[in-house]
Amino acid sequence: MKKYKQTEFPDAHNSECEIENRDELSAYIDKELPAWKRHLIRRHLKKCRVCANDIQQLQHTDNFLRHAGDVEASDGFLDSVMTRVSEVAQHQRQQESLWTRICWGIEVSLGWMPQLSTLSGKLRYNIRTRSPVYISILTFAVFTMVGVTLYQPSGDKFGQELHEPDSEKLISFEVIQQDPPKRLLTTYLQRK
Amino acid sequence: MFVSDEDLMMKCRKGDRGAFELLVRRYQNPLINYIHRFIDDYHRAEDLCQETFLRVFKSASRYKPTASFKSWLYTIATNLCRNEVRNRSRRNTCFLEELVKEGEDVYHTEIMRDTRYLPDVLLEKKEQRQIIRKALAQLPDNQRIALTLVTYQDLRYEEVAEILGCSVGAVKALIHRARQKMKKLLIKAGIGE
Repeated sequence: MKKYKQTEFPDAHNSECEIENRDELSAYIDKELPAWKRHLIRRHLKKCRVCANDIQQLQHTDNFLRHAGDVEASDGFLDSVMTRVSEVAQHQRQQESLWTRICWGIEVSLGWMPQLSTLSGKLRYNIRTRSPVYISILTFAVFTMVGVTLYQPSGDKFGQELHEPDSEKLISFEVIQQDPPKRLLTTYLQRK
Repeated sequence: MFVSDEDLMMKCRKGDRGAFELLVRRYQNPLINYIHRFIDDYHRAEDLCQETFLRVFKSASRYKPTASFKSWLYTIATNLCRNEVRNRSRRNTCFLEELVKEGEDVYHTEIMRDTRYLPDVLLEKKEQRQIIRKALAQLPDNQRIALTLVTYQDLRYEEVAEILGCSVGAVKALIHRARQKMKKLLIKAGIGE
């Protein structure tokens, strides 16, 4: 078995070392640093023995881990995944057909209003993709909106004001016509 | 001709089952290895790998090629592994591989029947695997995930950051600490000279 090489230098940080962030060393061996930083570290490694040994140790650890045996999926794995995928797809199709029928009903019943038709289209998309809770909330919201839009109570206050004249106002109008203010009458008589 | 994962996923979204099969073929071994290193149980790793692919298939209609497919796949697998570890600690369950005697490996007793593997190579690998498995199990979750993804799945730091939901700087620190700790553990296990 390969032996992991322990170097003579401990982890102790060299006081002359320029590298403050030691995490950069791991990023260096993973080639995750920009080119200019890599160049700086490479130049630094030629001078600093502590960092050079740290890098060597990290590299050894990485190599050791990489060369450890891998496991493989069993022979029937792909088949079992695809079988389950077929089952899921079939279930989704069945669900979709049921919801498509429900949505078709909604669309037909609300089809005369273009806005609601678009809304039901969106609803159908959401039904296909979202959770049942979302679907029920959305359906409730749509029906509430339709209900509010279509509901017109017979005893509406606005309707009453439009169709039935206000008798008190008309009476006062008549009074003004019949008896003009006295002040106006006296000025008229004075002019005469 | 090589088709990218994202293109395959877009085909899968349109109902192309062949494209999905290609994705499973491409990722089945890396994903099983990743999960196995996380939860340390081969049979359960296969189950979770299957579950990951099923979740990918179910969410295919919602897939948008904004993020890389690989990160998305490993995010799903990581979440499943975390749940598994959490449930296991709740149930205080012992898995088959934990019950086998020292020096025995369920997976390798299975592949020992395969003539492709020579006994000495197999023995060496078995020994290495056991030491690494034990050492990895001693790392904190985030360090283990980061190290496994970078070392075995060849993911970039950015992708790991996406999976773990942290910054690239944090991933750098996690990887470095994980390697330092692994180095100490390997020396302690008697591999150091």
